Amino acid sequence: MTDPKDAPLVRLAGVGKNYGNVIALRDVDLEASAGEVTCVLGDNGAGKSTLIKIVAGLHRHDLGTYEVQGEPVAFSSPRDALDRGIATVYQDLAVVPLMPVWRNFFLGSEKRKGFGRMDITFMRRTAKREMAAMGIDLRDVDQPIGTLSGGERQCVAIARAVYFGAKALVLDEPTAALGVKQAGTVLRYIVQARERGLAVIFITHNPHHAYPVGDRFLILNRGRPIGYRTKEEITREELTALMAGGAELEELAHELDAAVSGSGSRAAKELAEGADHLRKSD
Amino acid sequence: MTQAVAGPPAAVPDERLARESPLRRLLRRPEFGALLGAVAVFVFFSLVADAFLQADSFSTVLYASSTFGIMAVGVSLLMIGGEFDLSAGVMVTTAALVATLVSYQLTLNLWVGVAISLVVTLAIGALNGLLYIRTGLPSFIVTLATFFMLAGANLGVTKAVTGNVASDSVRDMDGFESARKVFASDVDVGGVNVKITVFWWLLFVGIATWILLRTRAGNWIFAVGGAAGSARAVGVPVARTKIGLFMGVAFCGWFSGMHLVFAFATVQSGEGVGNEFNYIICAVIGGCLLTGGYGSAIGAAIGAFIFGMVNKGIVYAEWNPDWFRFFLGAMLLIATVVNLIVRRRVERSA
Amino acid sequence: MLAVAGMLALGACSSSGGKKGEEKATGGNGPRLKIAMVTHSAPGDTFWDIVQKGAKAAAAKDNVQFLYSADPDGGKQAQLVQTAIDQKVDGIIVTLAKPDAMKDVLARATAAKIPVVSINSGAEDSAKLGALAHFGQDESIAGEAAGTELAKIGVKKALCVVHEQGNVGLESRCAGAKKTFSGQLQNLYVQGSDMPQVKSSITAKLQSDKGIDGILTLGAPFAATAVDSVKETSSKAKVATFDLNKDLIASIKSGDIQFAVDQQPYLQGYEAVDELWLYKTNGNVLGGGRPVLTGPAIVTKDNAASLEGFAVRGTR
Repeated sequence: MTDPKDAPLVRLAGVGKNYGNVIALRDVDLEASAGEVTCVLGDNGAGKSTLIKIVAGLHRHDLGTYEVQGEPVAFSSPRDALDRGIATVYQDLAVVPLMPVWRNFFLGSEKRKGFGRMDITFMRRTAKREMAAMGIDLRDVDQPIGTLSGGERQCVAIARAVYFGAKALVLDEPTAALGVKQAGTVLRYIVQARERGLAVIFITHNPHHAYPVGDRFLILNRGRPIGYRTKEEITREELTALMAGGAELEELAHELDAAVSGSGSRAAKELAEGADHLRKSD
Repeated sequence: MTQAVAGPPAAVPDERLARESPLRRLLRRPEFGALLGAVAVFVFFSLVADAFLQADSFSTVLYASSTFGIMAVGVSLLMIGGEFDLSAGVMVTTAALVATLVSYQLTLNLWVGVAISLVVTLAIGALNGLLYIRTGLPSFIVTLATFFMLAGANLGVTKAVTGNVASDSVRDMDGFESARKVFASDVDVGGVNVKITVFWWLLFVGIATWILLRTRAGNWIFAVGGAAGSARAVGVPVARTKIGLFMGVAFCGWFSGMHLVFAFATVQSGEGVGNEFNYIICAVIGGCLLTGGYGSAIGAAIGAFIFGMVNKGIVYAEWNPDWFRFFLGAMLLIATVVNLIVRRRVERSA
Repeated sequence: MLAVAGMLALGACSSSGGKKGEEKATGGNGPRLKIAMVTHSAPGDTFWDIVQKGAKAAAAKDNVQFLYSADPDGGKQAQLVQTAIDQKVDGIIVTLAKPDAMKDVLARATAAKIPVVSINSGAEDSAKLGALAHFGQDESIAGEAAGTELAKIGVKKALCVVHEQGNVGLESRCAGAKKTFSGQLQNLYVQGSDMPQVKSSITAKLQSDKGIDGILTLGAPFAATAVDSVKETSSKAKVATFDLNKDLIASIKSGDIQFAVDQQPYLQGYEAVDELWLYKTNGNVLGGGRPVLTGPAIVTKDNAASLEGFAVRGTR
């Protein structure tokens, strides 16, 4: 085993995946190291969910290599990935809505005390404490998790992954279905997870959510990477442009400028201000 | 009591918890609506039927409830796990026929037949589960198919083996008396004869409740019924859990089948058709969601109790039984609506 | 084409081998007939099992190919009769539990010149619908016999246990018994497909009314259950029943059950097939346009022993 500091926690090189004769993903390189946030951006159908399924162990890649701490792996189930410290939080599959918070928190990794019995006292107390550590003060860990807000639900899932010793956290569009304020809350937890020393892979289609928290950015388009940059190498505007199909957007901006003088750039300015605000609230 | 689970954690007192009264906690239990219904039905029949309140009569009501209730235990767990088993009714008959036919034809001790029946019935349950997992078809369809196959096999095999449509009487065979003590005897409780099935029923409900609320398996059952995808994503073995649930129904079917054998000695091969819905009704009255992920074994037991009370209450009240099904339908409707309202109110105020 | 089909059929006949040939040798003379029986029986009913045994026995004797089908739903039973007509059978045996549903299809059978015999239920509609003859028990007469018998054994207040709600035949048995029974008779409805429920309902009734001293069940399996209930509640009720099976005969011998009213289902199957065979081969008609009664035959402690062997065989 190499020292974890030498090799990135998660490294993909030239990874590809086919579904029958459909090429879902090609030539993807990606690194996520401890204490870093790697953002994967792309529009719908860009291959983000295929990528996440490979990392999470739901699907196996057909091409390239997938290394965890420098060691090549081929997971056959999410359980395998979890055992290697890679936890995934899905946008729509994060929690079981009708179950109490504490049951959700420990689902699949229940703490037991013999005869198949669960250590309920411990689990309830821990769930409450861990949520509090994430800044969510639960009135009652017995309330069904479906009664929490969307942002809080994502946070339970994140807190759960962190508690169970995840070294790498994969977040699938955690901010997609959320309002501005709740999205801000989730972004704050992403930063918190990074500061705790986790490697975070943050999947999103919103560059304004990605840019403030990300250290690296992988932009996918139609199953292929069209850019892989560190934060120093790219500005927010470049990221937005790249993400939206580069040249196409520039063309659109010109058209807008020509048609309604100035209104296009004003919209861009507002977007940028919104993102700045998010960063400050951190 | 299972209420202990819902009690506040001792370690972290929170001033806001005081706002939740014990009443509110009770209201939030899935079986609360059913409990209200049971009290209402009980009071109702106590008023209209004189014989209803006698100890003997109550014991009869409990017996009727237990024969539904034992199956409802397995069926409710399966429903919480998000699935149906339409073969549950005829599976009881299959279990009974296997035990009697094997023992009688091979002239074996009945306990051997009982054991073989357990193996066969559990295998049928496992087959239901495997078919469901492998085909990906809704369990409704898969178990409908096994329902028809079992109903046909019950008749066909019995006819082929015995030449009649009922199994031969096993009353005078070895092991009958000892097995009858286990599966179909009477227990004297303060001068009242109570059927042993009532105690088995309570035991099974207790075990099921313990599994649901206190064990990892219980957590998994709620999870696979509530959101199978989420459960799989966090490492819950969804297929194994569901197959286990189908086998749980099969176990209850086996037990009910053994009661048939040792209470009546012969088994009519056409019996059991239609009962599968009674079990589902018990579970639904008891607060199990048809869509899975929510419910309790205690609720299903209360559902079975309501079912038994209505079933026998009409006899005690000497009413025209033409209306029995009407009452049953009305009860089902009221119970589910009450459940719905209670749950919505609690969720809104939470 | 026809010739080929005929040869195929012949080929099929001869290739079916020794057993059939044996039947042919011992059976009646004349061409092999094909007779279909279509009943309203639900699957797995002991009674209809015995009817079939009777029909098969007659079929074997008369060298008849016997076909059986059944559906409790009136419309579906009519469809089954239609399939028999389509098969160009030589005779059809039907039950008329739902006469209106059978009317059109029986008219088609008559039009196709296929003789029809009715059995079991529907005595009053039989001739109207064009059947040659009817073999059955008049449920009302059978009920009356049971009522008389109940009174004879000293019962004052009895239950009539109806195991299928809304079944006209069962209702008229109870009604008939009420007519001749000197005491009080009330109906108890139970769900016949669930034996524990049958038992608990009878038990419940015995508990709520201690004055009951007699139980009349309308099917053999329910009599045994009623005996259990009586023993459990230490009631003094005497049990009697319709229909017969081997366990029942043992119970009659031991005195647990007082008597059984047998409508001799074997006879219904046997006579119906035999009548069609007689009609096709000799033009005979039984009954002179009136129903031929196959029951009631009362089985008591006195004659139970002589019937035991037959019941074990599953033909009584």
